Amino acid sequence: MNIAAKNRSVGVPVPLVDGIEKVSGRAAYTADLAADALVGRLYRSPVSHGEITRLDVSRALALPGVVAILTGDDCPHAFGILPIAMNEFPLARGKVRYRGDPIAAIAAVDAATAEKAIDLIEAEFAELPAYYSSKAARAADAVLIHDDRPGNLEREVHHSFGDVEAGFAAADLIREDVFDCAEVSHVMMEPHAALADYDVERERLTLHSVSQVPYYVHLMLARVMEMDSSRIRVVKPFVGGGFGARTETLNFELIAGLLARKVGGKVALTLTREESFISHRGRPQTDIKLKLGMTKDGRLTAAECEVVQRGGAYAGYGIVTILYAGALLHGIYDIPAVKYDGYRTYTNLPPCGAMRGHGTVDVRHAFECMLDRMARQLGMDPFDLRRKNLLTAPMRTLNDLIVNSYGLDECMDVVEKVAGWSGRAARKTPGKGFGMACSHYVSGAAKPVHWTGEPHAVVNLKLDFDGGVTALTGAADIGQGSSTVVALSVAEVLGIDLGRISVVANDSTVTPKDNGSYSSRVTFMVGNAAIDAARNLRDVLIRAAAEKLDAAPEDIDCADEAFFVAGSDQSRLTFKEVVAAALVDTGTITVKGTYTVPPDAQGGKHRGGAVGSTMGFSYAAQVVEVTVDEELGSITVDKVWVAHDCGFAINPLAVEGQIQGSVWMGLGQALTEETVYENGLAVSGNMLDYRVPTIADSPPIDTHIVESIDPNGPFGAKEAGEGSLSGFLPALVNAVADAIGVDMDELPLTPDRVLKAVAAKARAEKAAAKMAAGR
Amino acid sequence: MSEALPEFDLARPATVEEAVAARAGAGDARYLAGGTDLVVNMRRGIVAADRLIDLTGIAELDRLDLDGGGTVIGAGVKLAAVAENAEIGARYPAVAEAAAVIAGPQHRKMGTVGGNLCLDTRCVYYNQSEWWRRANDYCLKYRGNVCHVAPGGDRCWAPFSGDLAPALLIHGAEIEIAGADDRRRMALSDLYTDDGADHLTLGDGELVVAVHLPADNWRSAYDKIRVRDSIDFPLAGVAVGLKERATGGPELRIALTGTDSRPVLVDGIAEALADGFDDSTFPAIEKRLKKQVQPMSTTTLNAPYRRTAAAVVAKRLIARLVG
Repeated sequence: MNIAAKNRSVGVPVPLVDGIEKVSGRAAYTADLAADALVGRLYRSPVSHGEITRLDVSRALALPGVVAILTGDDCPHAFGILPIAMNEFPLARGKVRYRGDPIAAIAAVDAATAEKAIDLIEAEFAELPAYYSSKAARAADAVLIHDDRPGNLEREVHHSFGDVEAGFAAADLIREDVFDCAEVSHVMMEPHAALADYDVERERLTLHSVSQVPYYVHLMLARVMEMDSSRIRVVKPFVGGGFGARTETLNFELIAGLLARKVGGKVALTLTREESFISHRGRPQTDIKLKLGMTKDGRLTAAECEVVQRGGAYAGYGIVTILYAGALLHGIYDIPAVKYDGYRTYTNLPPCGAMRGHGTVDVRHAFECMLDRMARQLGMDPFDLRRKNLLTAPMRTLNDLIVNSYGLDECMDVVEKVAGWSGRAARKTPGKGFGMACSHYVSGAAKPVHWTGEPHAVVNLKLDFDGGVTALTGAADIGQGSSTVVALSVAEVLGIDLGRISVVANDSTVTPKDNGSYSSRVTFMVGNAAIDAARNLRDVLIRAAAEKLDAAPEDIDCADEAFFVAGSDQSRLTFKEVVAAALVDTGTITVKGTYTVPPDAQGGKHRGGAVGSTMGFSYAAQVVEVTVDEELGSITVDKVWVAHDCGFAINPLAVEGQIQGSVWMGLGQALTEETVYENGLAVSGNMLDYRVPTIADSPPIDTHIVESIDPNGPFGAKEAGEGSLSGFLPALVNAVADAIGVDMDELPLTPDRVLKAVAAKARAEKAAAKMAAGR
Repeated sequence: MSEALPEFDLARPATVEEAVAARAGAGDARYLAGGTDLVVNMRRGIVAADRLIDLTGIAELDRLDLDGGGTVIGAGVKLAAVAENAEIGARYPAVAEAAAVIAGPQHRKMGTVGGNLCLDTRCVYYNQSEWWRRANDYCLKYRGNVCHVAPGGDRCWAPFSGDLAPALLIHGAEIEIAGADDRRRMALSDLYTDDGADHLTLGDGELVVAVHLPADNWRSAYDKIRVRDSIDFPLAGVAVGLKERATGGPELRIALTGTDSRPVLVDGIAEALADGFDDSTFPAIEKRLKKQVQPMSTTTLNAPYRRTAAAVVAKRLIARLVG
């Protein structure tokens, strides 16, 4: 599907098409639309794990101003993102599984009344043992959090490709390290919010929500509310970020719908920052045991990886997360044999799920740290070691993933040069260190969550008397710029001014279904669908132009708002002239474009083989320069150089922003961010104790775009928004090792952890010296 | 889950006397200046107030008198104004340095000197939502019976984390307080007691009106440790003052915040310096400092780290001033 960009609508930096509304404050977000709505509030579980033995909402319901109260009795249907793992109810039924599990929902005339009513709800619990670590949940005598999941395991994965035993036998150097990566959360700017409006007379529901996946929300509303999906309208207004937090239907969206029907009107459920934190679905705490084998010249011979993810109380995307963690061991380096054992546990904590770099980040971190340490052991430069293990595209990995374009080598060349890597020794002062690492990510999951046989993406275009082209897309722009990609792609193919194009997105009554904004699928899939639609529209216009110019359609070309006979300066028709001609007899023109991932790209035949499959991997390399204060344990990131292979940058401005954002989010996970629970209560459920770096904490980031021109990507494009994240963490840890000679195995590198590691190293050195002296 | 601001009356006095009168007899009345601490705490449900007395219209509180021998800083002076005042920076460097690193720029534009001195103590078991605290059976500081930091004890360990207090202590500050009947002045150190649940000694309805700083020739410096240098409260903050004497080496003062329920002016420094300033001096000071501060598990970062790091910051500030 790759077509070359020639009109220069794509490939040049442009501000996002919806940017003006955002920076001027005119953009209306979900909470802005809620002025005349009843106020919804949730009563949440105060205990981690227990049977609800009594729930009495009568006093709350009697409070003047309270319009309706829902409990689990009103929610007979379970929901969940994966059809094979739906085990969550909008409101708890019989049992609660984490502190914060919603139990009852109130609609009242105002917030003060709703909150007063919450205090009047009476509940008693028969508490059960609660588990806050994978280890505790997996203990032999542990009580089951879900009756049908023995061992409190949501999913075990055991994959082995190639001859692992022979691989390690062939190794000159084998190393095994253990890593512990803390749980992190998305902290999107806009807290969760949903606004539901139920039309009693027509029995129709309209829901506005912050979703990244309005289509899945639509499906779950129909299921949970027992409504025909045609009577539901889902609208995604402006959304302040997501980063994966909203890639599945969340309980508050369904509760809002149920409450609106109960009151027969409009209810807004806007969650606090704390509630947004405990809705979670972020990156799980992860234990990683990684063993790598290598020849003495740095060739990988085998990898063996065990991953345990502390999943939280419900399934969510968990099965996908644990599969991704193993699948993406592949697709970046040439490894002859790979064994993977993954365990996704249930615990009594907020459920985990998808977060930027879904599944790969912690494992990539461990892998890239290990490469650095082994390079040191072999006396090799870490760039050179990685160059020994590159892939050659096109190829198929051991686990049947396709790699059609591969710009990792170029990414490494770029950052090695711009960071002055070879001359870094001269820049080293006490406490200063340099580290590098690589990473990759999928450009859209090749197999959608719900397999319907439909195309992966559909874009509709409408062209009318005014000469304006309206692009209709269901792709959820959550700030990443997907609507702009659609507009630019259409402008490029038609050779018209961007100003002619209006993008209408995310209103299920108007726009075509889209699977949503996750796994970096939108640019690749929706971009290709937009190109397809634009080509179909161009064909219509070319036929009209050919007739007017008395030429053969195949000789007609378009550019600069004109249609003309290719190679001829005469006989030019303006775009508007062609539109007028094309509308004769037919009137308004509507066309459609689609994109479908070919079946042979949808992953291997092994169980779970679809996860990780994609049409194109992005690649990234980065160098991080740090200064470590060994007395205080504090780390300053002085500079980051990053190169990202996004295939082709449709909008370089947005790509650059996405790369910076990825690095910055990696910075948070590496240095300061972690969720902290006290007996299951989220201590860090606020923006002071959950420490997202602010702009003042952010280093200069020198971004470079590498364009490998993917054969199937739209204009050659691949993903840009996730791949650079996972490389930052190990590049930082490797830089710290370079600076102070301490290998850190725990994330984040808070100052107390750094000091502890420094002290441990000093003790070890002292003991070694003592041994040597005693000899 | 609450974030809604409760209903309250708003009084807008024009003078200190009117403010104190507005407070007298009102049930749960609170003074409101910048609001950067109070309003957040009200939304969190940890401060109940049915009347707020807005101090921003009182001209006297904004006075900044640098002309005389000493210095008077009104309690309503904004933190940003203190940070940016060249005269304060020259005479009392630690005070300006401390003001310059309080929270973020927006907080400093709103927050006041009086507010920072009267900042509520903070703890991970306290600065949480009503739902959270209720699920945890509340705590000794508010509505509960147990301090979750030290469940066996009978006191609250929430630390005070105002940055200005240690810097002002170094310079021997006094504060001026208005009560229902009179005004009084006392040493700033007497404003605090080491009880996280009740760390201010102010009487009912009393209002801090101003800070008085003597003219002195102390050189001083302030620094603190945080995970994020942008907006975090100090895990430990340290002010150091140094005065050269004609004979017998320099005089030194060290004060800390963020570690205990009150700012701590370290005792026994003079003894540590008795034999002059040499390589053995700092270890002796460090020993005293570490003995006199007691950070507890009131933050998500571990407590021993805060003690260790506080000593490192103190050492560096001393080196900076001595050097």
